[in-house]
Amino acid sequence: MSYDINQTITRISEIIINELKLEDVTPQTFNPDLDLIDEVGVDSMDLATVALVLRDEYGIRIDEDDYPKLTSVRIIAQYIINKLTEKE
Amino acid sequence: MSAQPQEYKFSDIIADPRIRERWEKVRRYFFLRESTYDMSNRCNIRCEGCYYFTGEKQFAPENTDENAWRQLLQSEKERGITFAVLAGAEPSLVPNLCAICYQVIPLGAIATNGLKAIPREIDYRIHISAWGNDQTSQAIRRAPNMLARQMVNYKDDPRAVFVYTFTPGNIDEAREVTKLLADNGQHITFNMFSAPVGYQGYLRHTPETLGKTRETMDELLTEYPQTVLFSTYNIVAHTDKLGLHDLFSCSYPRMNPSTDIGLGRSFRQYRTDLQWDRDAACCVPDTDCTDCRHYAAGSAVVTARMYRHATDPVTFSAWLDYVDTYLAVWVRGYDKGLNLCNTFISPPPTN
Repeated sequence: MSYDINQTITRISEIIINELKLEDVTPQTFNPDLDLIDEVGVDSMDLATVALVLRDEYGIRIDEDDYPKLTSVRIIAQYIINKLTEKE
Repeated sequence: MSAQPQEYKFSDIIADPRIRERWEKVRRYFFLRESTYDMSNRCNIRCEGCYYFTGEKQFAPENTDENAWRQLLQSEKERGITFAVLAGAEPSLVPNLCAICYQVIPLGAIATNGLKAIPREIDYRIHISAWGNDQTSQAIRRAPNMLARQMVNYKDDPRAVFVYTFTPGNIDEAREVTKLLADNGQHITFNMFSAPVGYQGYLRHTPETLGKTRETMDELLTEYPQTVLFSTYNIVAHTDKLGLHDLFSCSYPRMNPSTDIGLGRSFRQYRTDLQWDRDAACCVPDTDCTDCRHYAAGSAVVTARMYRHATDPVTFSAWLDYVDTYLAVWVRGYDKGLNLCNTFISPPPTN
């Protein structure tokens, strides 16, 4: 099965916006290449929260050791697609 | 044939109204980013096993320049620090510097021996160290009538929480001290003596004293639920035969090389000369990491491991109790709720 990265990016953006209560941005306008830590201000507890919601959404486990690598929505989307592909 | 353990979605776990309410309550504080500051290289007592007077930091010169402190705290605030922990050697000896910290970063806590009252206008949480009854304090801390003096200094003071450090020699005395504090309307939380690097003295815990401490903590938590700020999962995490690092992977810079996110990125531990060293940076420097069960360490290290506790409602409730306790102990104005999980559960495995 192939996964649409743009669709995944939009959905992850939506989750991040909802969970972190970001204002003045929509899933469509969220820049997927923004550095979540340096430019959005996400920290480890935020990322853990998002990881739990993504676990529900996609049925994949995000290892705690992988958090530091997940620095943008695009990188998270690719990470999820890789995990889903591995599962098949 | 054994049944497969049920797999829970996070949304299922927080669908329970009690869990959801507690989750929403604690997550509002996820913005807290701490650093710690040694305020003075002096202390008015000298205790057996004191972490401050171990290692190199005790020899750092004392910077008493108020402008330098204000600049430091301002720069800390600008890099995102929202919570200041003022510690060694004895912050009450430099109230002017504590006041500056409070003016710049209004959330924080001060660790003190409680023998000199910290002015009320510094509205940080005040952690008053207790190491047993007055007889034991006289022997270990060489200070007479400590509890009596501490209680007078912090009577009816909502900032105050007594931190009782369990050592192998004072386990039974915790009952007497907790009752005394309860009778005086004070709050108490529990800490574990964690050996400084190289310490081989009689205060180091053994498997037997860890077990006895666990039983005593449980008894006191049950008997004094309004006085004791603790939870069953706090007991589990701090009296296990393994230290916090082995149980949860310590996230302070000293044990965590990653500078990408979390404590490894933001935490600093400043010495009295306003310098810091990444290789020494943790909440209680010069502690032997294999023996670390500090309450301060757990507050960050256990809290950071939310993901691995979100496996089922009971485990997540235990984690929420831990975070609720940590916030009640450290944050002024945060009220602890009733514990959700009163059974002893095992810490979840690492990834």
